[in-house]
Parts: sequence; C-alpha cells; structure tokens
Amino acid sequence: MSLFSFSELPNKLERLGGKLANAPFWESNFARAVAAVIAVLLLVIVIAVPLDLLQQTAIAILAFVVSSKLRKLSWGRGGILIMIGISLLMTMRYLYWRLTSTLDFETTVDMVFGYLLLFAELYGITCLVLGYIQTAWPLERQPVMIDRPVSEWPTVDVFIPTYNEDLSVVRLSVLAALTLDWPADKLRVYLLDDGRRDAFRDFAQNCGAIYLTRDNNRHAKAGNLNEALKRTTGDFVAIFDCDHIPTRSFLQLSMGSFLRDPKLAMVQTPHFFFSPDPFERNLETHGKVPNEGQLFYGLVQDGNDIWNASFFCGSCAVLRRAPLEEIGGVAVETVTEDAHTALKMSRRGYNMAYLAVPQAAGLATESLSSHVGQRIRWARGMAQIFRIDNPLLGPGLTLGQRLCYVNAMLHFFYGLPRLIFLSAPVAYLVFGAHVFTATTSMVLAYALPAIVLASMTNSKIQGNHRHSFWNEVYETVLAWYISMPVLMALLNPKWGKFNVTAKGGKIDQEYYDWKMAVPYVLLLAVNAICAVFGITELLRGSDEPFTALINCVWVVYNTVILSASAYVANEARQIRHTPRIKAAFPATVSRANGRTVMCETANFSSTGLGLKLPKDNGVKWDIGERVHVSIFRGDKESTFPGTVQTGGQFVGIQFDDSLTLKQTKELAKMTFGRADMWATEWDKHTDDKPMSSIKNVVAHGFVNLYGLVRSGIRGAFVKRRA
Amino acid sequence: MKIIAIVSGKGGVGKTTVSANLCAGLRRLGKSVLAVDLDPQNALRLHFGVSPRHVGGLARAVLSGDDWRSSVVQGNTGDYVLPYGSINEDDRLDFEQDLRENPTLLRDQLALLGLAQDCVVVLDTPPGASVYLTQALAAANAAVIVALPDAASYATLPKIMSLIKQYCSRRKKFLGYLLVINQVDRVKQLADDVTDMMSAKFGKKSIVLIHQDQAIPEALAYSKDLQEYDPLSRGAHDVKLCVQAVERLLSPDTVGAIAA
Repeated sequence: MSLFSFSELPNKLERLGGKLANAPFWESNFARAVAAVIAVLLLVIVIAVPLDLLQQTAIAILAFVVSSKLRKLSWGRGGILIMIGISLLMTMRYLYWRLTSTLDFETTVDMVFGYLLLFAELYGITCLVLGYIQTAWPLERQPVMIDRPVSEWPTVDVFIPTYNEDLSVVRLSVLAALTLDWPADKLRVYLLDDGRRDAFRDFAQNCGAIYLTRDNNRHAKAGNLNEALKRTTGDFVAIFDCDHIPTRSFLQLSMGSFLRDPKLAMVQTPHFFFSPDPFERNLETHGKVPNEGQLFYGLVQDGNDIWNASFFCGSCAVLRRAPLEEIGGVAVETVTEDAHTALKMSRRGYNMAYLAVPQAAGLATESLSSHVGQRIRWARGMAQIFRIDNPLLGPGLTLGQRLCYVNAMLHFFYGLPRLIFLSAPVAYLVFGAHVFTATTSMVLAYALPAIVLASMTNSKIQGNHRHSFWNEVYETVLAWYISMPVLMALLNPKWGKFNVTAKGGKIDQEYYDWKMAVPYVLLLAVNAICAVFGITELLRGSDEPFTALINCVWVVYNTVILSASAYVANEARQIRHTPRIKAAFPATVSRANGRTVMCETANFSSTGLGLKLPKDNGVKWDIGERVHVSIFRGDKESTFPGTVQTGGQFVGIQFDDSLTLKQTKELAKMTFGRADMWATEWDKHTDDKPMSSIKNVVAHGFVNLYGLVRSGIRGAFVKRRA
Repeated sequence: MKIIAIVSGKGGVGKTTVSANLCAGLRRLGKSVLAVDLDPQNALRLHFGVSPRHVGGLARAVLSGDDWRSSVVQGNTGDYVLPYGSINEDDRLDFEQDLRENPTLLRDQLALLGLAQDCVVVLDTPPGASVYLTQALAAANAAVIVALPDAASYATLPKIMSLIKQYCSRRKKFLGYLLVINQVDRVKQLADDVTDMMSAKFGKKSIVLIHQDQAIPEALAYSKDLQEYDPLSRGAHDVKLCVQAVERLLSPDTVGAIAA
C-alpha cells in the first residue's frame, strides 16, 4: 500500500474540506473577516503579480497540465470546481495584465480597434464567469412521487394557446393533453384560440376540450393566457404551445414537487423537438451533434435550479395559479413574457423548479429565417427585461438568482462582441493597428492559457450537452441578426419590431437563402481580404512576422466558423410529409386475408407508420392493400386502419384520413404520449471530445465553403440566364 | 402427471383448437403430452391426423371394461390421443350414467395409465355444465377457460367460475386457472370492450389473449404445426404465450403461478 494513493485523493480532500468547513472558529465573525482578508490578498497577489515571459509561460503550462489531468479524472463536481478555479485564475491574470499593460495606444486607430476588442473581451469574460457560477453544480432534480390520496390531488387546467397554426398540428396536442394521466374530474383541457376559428370550436367540442376565445388579440400569447386565467379556476395551470404534444405522465412527474413545497410556483420541463431544426437539417448534424437548445435544457436550466433561478419557457410547464394571479398573470411588458413572469414570481419569494425529463415534444422551427426570427424575439425580450425590470436591481432576489438572470439576458448580447471577434484581424492586417501594446509572445503567454483553460473547463462542464466549437457556429449564425434588435431594445425597450417574417410551409426544393446569408458572406469577404493582406505581408517579409502569422491563424479560424455557419442558409429540401419519429414498439398487421404479421415499428408519424419485419420473412405485400395495424404498450393494444404504401422488409403504412377522434386520441396515447418516448433519446449525445469536435467543424467548414462557392456560381449563372 | 381441463361456458369458442395448439406447444417445450377427448362429438382426434374411420376411444373402453391404454392412438402429428370413441346413443347414455355414478372415474382411469412424472394430460370437454365437465374438473390440476370476446361468453363466465370453485378450489393438487380470450379482434368495438372488461375482471396474470388470425384455422386444416406454418403470425405468438402461461401454472415453484 502506497502512502499516497491518487485515487484516494478526492476522498482525502473531501474529508479535509469537511473538517475545515466545520471547524469551530468559523463561528467567530472576527475569524471569518481575517480569513476573508487573507484570501482576497492572496488572490490579488496571484492575479496581479507581474511575471516575465518565462515565468508566465511556466505558470500557464502548470495550469494546463493540472487541468488536463483533472479533465480525465472523474472527481465529479469537486474536480470541475477545481478546474473552474484554475480557469478563473488564468483569466483574471490575463484580464489584469490586459487592463494594466496593453492599453498604452499610440494612435487613434490603435485606440479605436483596441477598445472595441477590449469591450468584446470584457463581455466574453463576464459571461464566462457568470456561466461558471450558473453551471458549476447542476441540481439534477428528481421527480417527486405524489404521496396523497387521489381525492386530495389538486385540479389542473391545461392551456393550449393557438393563433394561426393549422388544426392538423393543434389536434394532436389537444388530444394528447386529454389523455394526461390525471383524475378526469380534476383535469380540464382548454383550447385558447386567438384566431376565432369555427373549425377549432367544433373540434374542441367534439373531443372534450373546452374552447375559449376573446374578441381581441391584445398582448398576443400572454394576453391569451391571461384571458383564460380569468375564466378558469383550476389550482394549477399547465401550459403547452399548440405544437407541443405532452406525454401521458407529464402531470404525474411534475405535480409531486408542488405538493411537497407550498411555495413552489413553477415546474418547467425541457422542450424537445422530434424534427431537426434548420441547423441540424442544413448541416446534417441531427442526432450527431447536440443542438442549440440542448445546452440550455440539458445544463443551464439545471444549473439555474440550484440557485432557485430556473425560469419559465412558455411551454411544457406547470404554474401554480395563486402566485401567477398575485403578479397579475403572465407578464405582458416584454416579448419574452415567460422569463419575465418567472422573474416576477421569484421577486415575490416563490420557488422555481426545473425537471430535466422530456415530457412533451414538438416540431422545431422549419426554416432558418423563422428560427432566426424566434431568436430575435428572445434576444429582444431579454434586453427589454434587462432595461425595465433589471434582475440586478429591485427587491426580492437572492444574489444567485440575480446573477443567473443577468447571465440569461447578457447571453443574448453576444451579437456585437461576436461580430468584433469575427472581423478583428482586419485591425492589424488591413489597418496596421496594434490592439495590444505588448509583444506578441507576451500576448500569447497571457491570452492562450486563459482561452485554452476556459475551453477545457467548459468542455468538461458541458460534456454531452454541447460539443466544442459548435457553440461558435450557432452564435455566429445569429450574431448579425440579434445585435441590432438587442441594441435597440437596450436603448429603448419600446423600439421597433425586428422579426424576420417566417416563410412557413415546407421547403420543396433545396435552395440557398442568399438574403439570410448576406452577413456571413460579407464577413467571409472581410476575412478573405485579411488573408490577402496577411499573405502579402508575410511574403514581402514583415517586420512583425509573428504578429502577422497569429492574425492569419485567426483569419483561418474565422473562415472555418463562418463557412460552417454560412451553409446553414442552404435550405435542404424537406419532404412533404409530417416528420417521422424513430421508435420500436411491438406491432401487428392484420391483413385483408385474415392473416397477421408480428413486427416492430421502425418509425411513426401522425399520419402513418414504418414497420420492420424480420429478414427473409417471405411475406408478400400488395401496394394499396387495406390493413389494420395494432400497436402495443404493455398489455394495452390499439388498432388503426391504413393502407400499405411500400412492402419488403420495411413496410410503410399510411393511416386512413378518416381516423376518428377516438382513434387519433389512441394514436397519440400509444405513440407521442408514451411516458418514456423522448427520455431515451433526449440529451443522449456522446461526451464532448474537443479535438474531434474541431475536426468535425473544420470538415463542415471546408465542405460548406466549397458548397457555398458552388451555389454562388450556380446562382449567378441562373440569374444571368433569367 | 399433470392434468389440464380445457373448459368453456358456451360452444363454438375454439376450445378444441386451443386444446390441439396447447398440446403441440407443450410438446415443443419437451413435455410428453396426451390429449384426451371428453366431448361426445369425438372431434379432437381429427386435429391430430387420426383417421375419421378410427372408432375406438375411452367411452367404448369403459363400456367394454377394457384397459384405456389400448385405446390410445398416435396421430400423424406424433401426438398421443385418447379419443372419445364412436358410440351409439344408448351407449352414450349408459356411459354418462357410469360417469354420474362414479364421480372420480376419469381421475382413477388416468392414474391407471401410469404416465410419466412430466407428462401432461390435456382434457377437452364439451361446452357448459355437463357430467364430463364435472369429471374433468374433479381430475384437473389446472383449468383453462376458453371464451370469446362477446356478450354470451361474458355472461357464462360466472357459471364456469362457480363450477371451478366447487370442484377444484378445495383440492390441494389444484394449481389454478387461466382465462384464454380467443379470436380477439380490436377492430370490432364490442370485442374490444369485452376484452377490456374481462381483462379488468381477471387481472393481467391470469389472462391470455389469442388474436383473431386466419393462420390458426389454416394450419389446422393443413395438419401443420402453427409455429411452422406461420411463425411470424400474431396467432403463433399468442399461442406461444398461452403455452408459457400454462407451463407457469403447472410449475407452481416458478414466479407467476396463480393460486385459485
């Protein structure tokens, strides 16, 4: 037995930490003050002590080695906290050095570019620090069993607001809500139709939902919900967007927490999308790379939860009526009514909860322009809240809540800083500006460790929720579009609507959305110009070859990220049917001749099923054959009439158009409504491997740059002919 | 030796078909099986490929005082069958009189066969209450009730249950019963509702569904084993589940057995 066993270290540290934390001298205020002063002094020394190139490099290497080791160990949260500590230390050293030793600009051009970059860096560092606080220790809340007799269960009103969506979309959500596993006399499903459509009224009346409408559309969705609040009485309100289909277990899983904690005002569950979003579809990353929302619902909300700061996201959530009414219903002051509603309830001292179990699923935005439009709304709304009800100010919030909310808002301000980073090489390469008044080797010795350790630490924290560098792609796509609206909303919360109109419908033919792509193409052009200048300078024999080279590397990085991003505008063709969801349920086909075939589903949609038969089954299918398909869930069985579309080992069945309401409800229950339907797929990506992730982004970048150029040439050619 | 009585409250529920498929399934599990026909229709033997001209059977043996073993025949499927036997009306009445006078006649005679420990005897009975049913229940270690998902079957269930209670429940050797709902068809609203009602009443563990499936009568018509005739069919799958349920019933040590 060795005296020092590495695997025992975390336990030893924990014991030591426990002893230290429980030591009696902490009771004395004086001792605490002394300890705090000592800690701050030590911190100041570590951050501010000036080191020469060699010393700083040595510190950087040490930090890197320790963090690399920690990254591979599974020390749990403790290991992550140490990594965060190291990363913060290197970042703070950089920041101190940057502010004290690099800003003696000589010319105005230097100063302008220098301060612009500094602003972007300060923004990045603020978000880094807030992000660490937010995600240091995700709560990983578990569902609470309801331990009371059914007679004591509260009443729940389900609100499904709709405005202009198709009945075919809304139908399934309403029918699934009607099958929620909750006592029938304690559950009411309301279809809130702001479109005042007769078809919706008829549908609701026939299926057992309650139809509500109003004579105006004031405050859009928020107003719609508030109107319904006035006309209903349930103890709780569950809210689903009209294209979110709940699973049957939604209330069983989410309501337990309310019964345990009377101050709990909201339980939010993740938004899960069974169709690919424009990023996933156009970049072909669906199922391979965690999507944009994954980080938020997989990590950020869970991280918020430990600070009691997870917030309402407008759908797939339950709210307690009393606190909601206490704050005057859903907030109407901003365009992100959901987050603001939660903030207002938090200010009144109510608790918030986030339960990371997907209990509903819906359609992702269909095109890049509608996706961008939605993000603009979020960004604008968050900026509005920041202005009119700033979480740093005002009563009722804990420090943790303030910081989490501020980060949620600051997060959307990334537009301008991102644009600055993407065009920064222009400063030196084109204008010859020196944005740092320091030697290039010093810049590298201070900046690189800060950047690398932040990446390593975030990669460890974010694990399977986001893969390195994809964040850059997601933000780059949106940067241009959200920076103006955010700026406007910050200047005056009432200013302007910047929504890009959603094109809607299906994309019949692959096309390149040049209009959406303008910003990326411009930025690519800027970087191309930088590259030309950089290469020329290097070839001519620069007097600062190292600086030129670093800037050229920066240009290459920008080009990769930009071309990966630019390709998002290449709208892949969407086939004109409802999205098919992969799932293997036991099934049986009853054929026209009375024979049956046992099989498994391969996928399903609201209009049909794909079935998988054993290999070499010898079953002959007639296209157009009328069949009945049974789907099983445990000993439950439901049968649906349909027609064979394709035969073979995989059989495609299309349901009859004439499925009755009861059958459609059964279908929702047996497919979309299964309790475990989404949990097995959601957030199950592989852990981040930064090196393979960057390879992946680079590959996408190059392939896409080629595709972009090709589309450009083709586009120009077609235009000339036309 | 374990004895299973296949019973039903009304006729035409596919009891004989279930019996035959059960025999085939048990044999696949490695059991030796004897199918015994207690139904004067004397049809069970046909499912085992015994010639329709074959006249011997247990009724004749009883009347003539012969050993039952001499009446056991092997069908062309390889199973052993003890047919009822072709007898005239007077003989049938005499035979039934014998059964009435000696309530344990069947049990005693089966014991005399000297069958092996792991042998399973499957008793096919005529529908409803009868002297045959009484004899079968008095001998059985387990009962399989066959019903259709229709109102008539549902209505006759209480009667059958009370008979099982009367003749079986008090015997220590009786292991339990199983309800088989035959020809389940979820497309038909009534069948769907009755299936759900029966399932609710009997509980998951003591109920097996066999779906409506043309492969079942077809396999019988061609004297083929269902599992070979159409292994992918729902029917083959359901029969397999049914056989497994019966086996669990007969081996009370294993989990899932149902006490009556």
